[in-house]
Amino acid sequence: MKGMMLVGALAVAAFVTFFSSFFVIREGQQAIITQFGLPVGTPYTRAGPYFKTPFIQEVRYVDKRILSWDGYPNQIPTKDKKYISVDTTARWKVVDALAFIKSVKSEFGAKSKLDAILDASTRNVISNHNLVEAVRNTNKIIDQFKAKQKEIKEKIAQGEDVIDEEVTGEIERIEVGREKLSELIAQSARKELIKFGIELIDVQLRRISYEKSVESKVYERMISERQRIAQKIRSIGQGEKEKIEGRISKDLKKIESEAYRKAQKIRGIGEARAFAIYARSLGQDQRFYEFLRSMEAYKNALGEEAKLLLSSDSEFLKFLK
Amino acid sequence: MNEINIQELKGQAKGLLLILLVIVGVVTAMGSFYTVGPDEQAVIIRLGRYLETNGSGLHFKLPLGLDKLYIVKTERVLQQEFGFRTEVSSYRGRTRYAANQFDDESLMLSGDLNVADVEWVVHYRIAGPFRYLFKTKEQEKNIRDVSESIMRRVVGDRSVTEVLTTGRVEIENEAKALIQEVLDRYEMGVLVGTVALQDVNPPDSVKASFNEVNEAKQEQEKLINQAERQYNTVIPEAKGKAQRKISEAEGYANALTNRAVGDAEKFQALLLEYRKAPVITKKRLYLETMEALFKRFKDVTIVDAQVKGLLPVFTKGGGASL
Repeated sequence: MKGMMLVGALAVAAFVTFFSSFFVIREGQQAIITQFGLPVGTPYTRAGPYFKTPFIQEVRYVDKRILSWDGYPNQIPTKDKKYISVDTTARWKVVDALAFIKSVKSEFGAKSKLDAILDASTRNVISNHNLVEAVRNTNKIIDQFKAKQKEIKEKIAQGEDVIDEEVTGEIERIEVGREKLSELIAQSARKELIKFGIELIDVQLRRISYEKSVESKVYERMISERQRIAQKIRSIGQGEKEKIEGRISKDLKKIESEAYRKAQKIRGIGEARAFAIYARSLGQDQRFYEFLRSMEAYKNALGEEAKLLLSSDSEFLKFLK
Repeated sequence: MNEINIQELKGQAKGLLLILLVIVGVVTAMGSFYTVGPDEQAVIIRLGRYLETNGSGLHFKLPLGLDKLYIVKTERVLQQEFGFRTEVSSYRGRTRYAANQFDDESLMLSGDLNVADVEWVVHYRIAGPFRYLFKTKEQEKNIRDVSESIMRRVVGDRSVTEVLTTGRVEIENEAKALIQEVLDRYEMGVLVGTVALQDVNPPDSVKASFNEVNEAKQEQEKLINQAERQYNTVIPEAKGKAQRKISEAEGYANALTNRAVGDAEKFQALLLEYRKAPVITKKRLYLETMEALFKRFKDVTIVDAQVKGLLPVFTKGGGASL
């Protein structure tokens, strides 16, 4: 009996000892061994099964994965005095677990360090650059703008009326650009953070927006811009309409006057030709024609109501005498 | 007495042990194999360490928690929505939530420092299950953060007109490439599919004035069309009239000429006849004319030179008067 209990006790003891010395580091984790609360040795970064001294040594796990940090959206004035709200986010990981544990102790501790360092770095970089640098990344919008302006000028030279729908003078050149700006923020923070065993992978400018009061001014500008363009379009339309109407009356007059001219000419020619024919034929015997024509005239012109007074000497009544 | 009990206990214990062993045996057996479907991949972690990734089929693993199994659907296309949300509710189908709830996500600055309201969707697949599971902590958050950041970068390089109208495809392509680049940098194991822009509008309070521009354009076109149409009605009509005037003139000229020719020919014929016998012809024509006239007149008075006063010898109208 006693023997069995002893065996049992030994078995339990072995079990307990085993589980106090055996530990597993999962993928995405790293670990530091602490002895009596103090870290010893180098961090274990590779996943797998390990052994440590039982009971006196503890395992502190640290996340090996890429972690994210969110900044609190900040109102920051840019170099050109525009108040914007900057919402940043960063990716970081623990590359030196020992330094990490020694300095910030945990992810929670790390967060406050990250908050302070990244906030300062962000403020610093943003306020030293104009707003455009945080919005745009390249100057390609300027090239496009120039190309469009050129196109519009050419069209106007050809007499077409084009509306310039593009905008304003807000297109300044950038020197740095959004990506470089993010990199600048990360760079200055990186040096600080490595002391805590933290590698800062990148900083993303997740959102940049106008501060509310500035926003409404921007909207006003956008609205008045659009209204200006609309007005321009309308007046060009009106102008085009009047041009066409002018063309109508001009062409109309031209057609009518030309037709009149041609018609008169044709009539004239016709009449002249007729005259010539008459002259040629009737001219052969003018007196006979006179006689003939008079006879016809009498026949046609004298109506039944006319009173005829004939002398008995008339040729017609010659034979009545 | 006690001896019998102890024997019984031993028997029961043995029986219990047997049952336990059987249960353990079955559980172990069940935990030592697994199946992977055709749209899935399985990641095996042995004692914390990555062992292998397996595709579809039947596979074996160590039981009793020594091997841990993670199954990931690698063919499924997942999506993240930005600027709006749709929900699939079982009885109503898809409903789209008011996008102005998500203005923070959708309003962004364009390259000419105007504001646009951009909604978009990112489709993606988990192509590298091990990386997806173990390299980063907040996978969906990474995808969302990167998408927002990149979309703003891409939109921020373009003018607001481009964003609203002509630049959509370019924006989608550039965004897709850049998002993939950053997610690869984080070793996410994610393959970005399409980035699709949804509604892209000017912000609500500015919309009306953008519409005004469109309306003005339409008005302009209408005015010009009307004027052109008027031109196309009036001018052809006038041309037609003009043509008619000319034809009329030609007709007149022809008629005149023809009549002249006709008259000339008639005269010619008569002239020929006259020349053959001039006196007779003249007399004949005269008498014919007078005959026709006499027939017509109602009141004919013949006056004789030798008779003084007006003494009509013959009146057609009946009744002589002296």
